[in-house]
Amino acid sequence: MLNEVAPLARPRIEVLDRDEIQEIHESSLNILSRVGVKVDHEEALKLLNSIGVDVDFNKRVARIPEHVVREALSRTPNFVRLYHRDGKQYIDLHEWNTYFVVGSAAYYYMDFRTNEVRRPVSRDLAEVAKVTDYLPNTHMVSTALVPADVPEIIADRWRMYVVIKNCSKPIDTGAFTLEGVPDAAKLMAAVVGEENVGRKPFMIFAACSSPPLKWSALTLQNLMDCARYGIPVHIIPMPQTGGTAPATIAGAITQANAEFLAGLVIAQFTRPGAPIVYSGSPTVFDQRFATSCTGYIEVGLISAATSQLAKFYRIPSGCYTMVSDSKTVDAQSSLETAFGALISVLAGINMAIGSGMLLEENCISLIKLAIDDDAAGSALRFARGIHVDAETIAEKVMEEVGPGGLFLKHKHTRSWWRREHFIPKLLDKRTTDMWKRGGSKDLNTVAREYVEKILREHSPEPLPPDVEKILNESMQMIARKYGVEKLPEV
Amino acid sequence: MVLVDDDLLSELREATINGDSDRVEELSRKVIEAGIDPLEAVEKALVKGILELGDRWINGEAFISDLIAAADAMKVGLSILKNEIVKRGGAIKFRGRIVIGTVEGDIHDIGKSIVASLLEASGFEVIDLGVDVPPQRFVEAIREYTPDIVGMSTLLSTTMLKQKETIEMIKQAGLRDRVKIIIGGAPTTEEWAREIGADGWAPDGISAVELVKRLLNAK
Ligand code: B1M
Repeated sequence: MLNEVAPLARPRIEVLDRDEIQEIHESSLNILSRVGVKVDHEEALKLLNSIGVDVDFNKRVARIPEHVVREALSRTPNFVRLYHRDGKQYIDLHEWNTYFVVGSAAYYYMDFRTNEVRRPVSRDLAEVAKVTDYLPNTHMVSTALVPADVPEIIADRWRMYVVIKNCSKPIDTGAFTLEGVPDAAKLMAAVVGEENVGRKPFMIFAACSSPPLKWSALTLQNLMDCARYGIPVHIIPMPQTGGTAPATIAGAITQANAEFLAGLVIAQFTRPGAPIVYSGSPTVFDQRFATSCTGYIEVGLISAATSQLAKFYRIPSGCYTMVSDSKTVDAQSSLETAFGALISVLAGINMAIGSGMLLEENCISLIKLAIDDDAAGSALRFARGIHVDAETIAEKVMEEVGPGGLFLKHKHTRSWWRREHFIPKLLDKRTTDMWKRGGSKDLNTVAREYVEKILREHSPEPLPPDVEKILNESMQMIARKYGVEKLPEV
Repeated sequence: MVLVDDDLLSELREATINGDSDRVEELSRKVIEAGIDPLEAVEKALVKGILELGDRWINGEAFISDLIAAADAMKVGLSILKNEIVKRGGAIKFRGRIVIGTVEGDIHDIGKSIVASLLEASGFEVIDLGVDVPPQRFVEAIREYTPDIVGMSTLLSTTMLKQKETIEMIKQAGLRDRVKIIIGGAPTTEEWAREIGADGWAPDGISAVELVKRLLNAK
């Protein structure tokens, strides 16, 4: 059963028509069967070979025929349910639902106390998790930062531990080591029990293909491990237009689609029914500065197209739509993200990823995260569209108030105003005078104070003591494997 | 029609800037036929062209894809003119030779390739080992190519350790004092470079070129 009420009429955008989707789909199939993909993983190559894929073991290239892709598509579930760590609440990545997700794996942190951009420590990540736990329109947390106060070799798993402790929401994460997924499964088992790692997953893993048309050993290992455990994965092709993908938008979309389908085949033949999200992190590779930009408006076009293709395949979707190229939290960071938020909901992207993120996916700012939560809330409101019925058309109310009257006193106003509007937490709507008397604060200041207040007053639901104990032990065991005895306090 | 030397060289320079490899090939052959000093052609046409375009890119007036196409065109010209230079008993003088690669376990390609292209565009000879390069391969490359500088790129915090491991292996092979070592890539820092005993670190492509120039001048 899905917990979504069927929407009435809903604002939507489509950037491709049916024929164009078909053309892109067919062209991706041609690429897969004629050009093939490079698969840097022995076991995956053998697997592909065993199901009738034409594999060149020397060149490590797999040419995947259409029927194999079709079979993989038919094995793929059409929704992915992600639980909170309590194993009770959940969100469904499905149809036109959009959930906003904090950007993951940055190695810089913009300290909201000093505005300095610096290496994060574990405490910073705990704060990001805590704030996210509170934010009403940010539905998923992520292992947002890679803390520099633990040895690099365990940083990917350590950040999961820190986030699990400080936030109850579903977690977007990923591994940068071969052992990453099995260890993560141990951490998940500590929280929900071994039998529930795949049944009630509260983490989803990122697996990026390596454009153009390649899958690396590391990410394939992660992808196949997740499939075996039943842990959801979002497959993230990352075309950089004019860098690792054609400069044309249709070309970038087609290449990404071929890479996604190749990953899907490997996942579904590793284990039928593996929960997969069709995700993406398209960037515009700026020819002037050699930068991988996430905030170009064309990224929105590619993201919307990704969502349409995912819907065409009846697979949940995701995209990095919330990351700005600005170097600081300013008008640029807000407007790029606001475009992204709106495009996400209008295109029905199920996971709109990147809240709080800046600098080519390299930096997290809590100020931006707080502002993005208002952008997300606004966008979600927009997507709900206009509720039209006799009561909302309010013909009777207009009659009662009459020409020249006021609606202020009418009970229709009191009962509907709240329901009709999204009330932002931070965006200022006061009179100029009230604003001046409030200290003439700009949005960044308001957001900073909001973050400070959350950190002061909010405490996430703690883990049950026995669960916390097992989780601590699991983390220590993982650390000890690498000879790490001392871990930071969080 | 016979072109006078200067016209031919300025055409070759233009073709290099335009990244027109076919035209560069044709003109390079003409240079040889016309009996022009091939070394002069390299310096006044190929290198001058690429340096000019490099400057334009730094000023935001050219695209990186233009620069890469120009670097490729330059290499086409070089391969033709080199034979003639050798025949005449000369040699092309690069500003230095650099071996570069992304370390083992990491397949991030672009940053490293940009650095390589910018170095080429600044008159250095670059040997690009590609991505996912094991430490041993760097060691072999030092023996094989005797570079002035070895450059290692990485984008993952976990594979930063491979930079360290590679330096250790270069030391063990007794090759450390034969090369300067530089590192880069988004998670790396100046401090990290110092900690693992590299000779330098650069945050982006333009500063990587400056760093290489500085290290080679100091040598
Ligand atoms: C020798 O001397 C020098 C001197 C200077 C040097 C130098 C060497 N090398 C670089 N420089 C410097 O000069 C260059 C030019 O100015 C600069 O190079 P850069 O490379 O920084 O800049 C380029 C011109 C443009 N930048 C880029 O191309 C990198 C952009 C980001 C977004 C990125 C991309 C594009 C990719 N990725 Co990856 N990727 C990210 C990156 C985030 C980021 N902004 O760094 C990062 C690095 N990736 C990350 C991750 C996690 C991963 N990625 C992966 C894969 C990929 C793609 C394949 C999809 C793609 C690369 C495509 C390709 N063929 O290269 C996976 C790893 C696969 C593997 N085995 O390596 C995977 C593990 C994801 C997964 N779970 O599948 C994160 C790392 C987190 C961490 N702490 O380690 C990441 C920060 C993004 C994120 N927030 O998640 C300077 O750094």
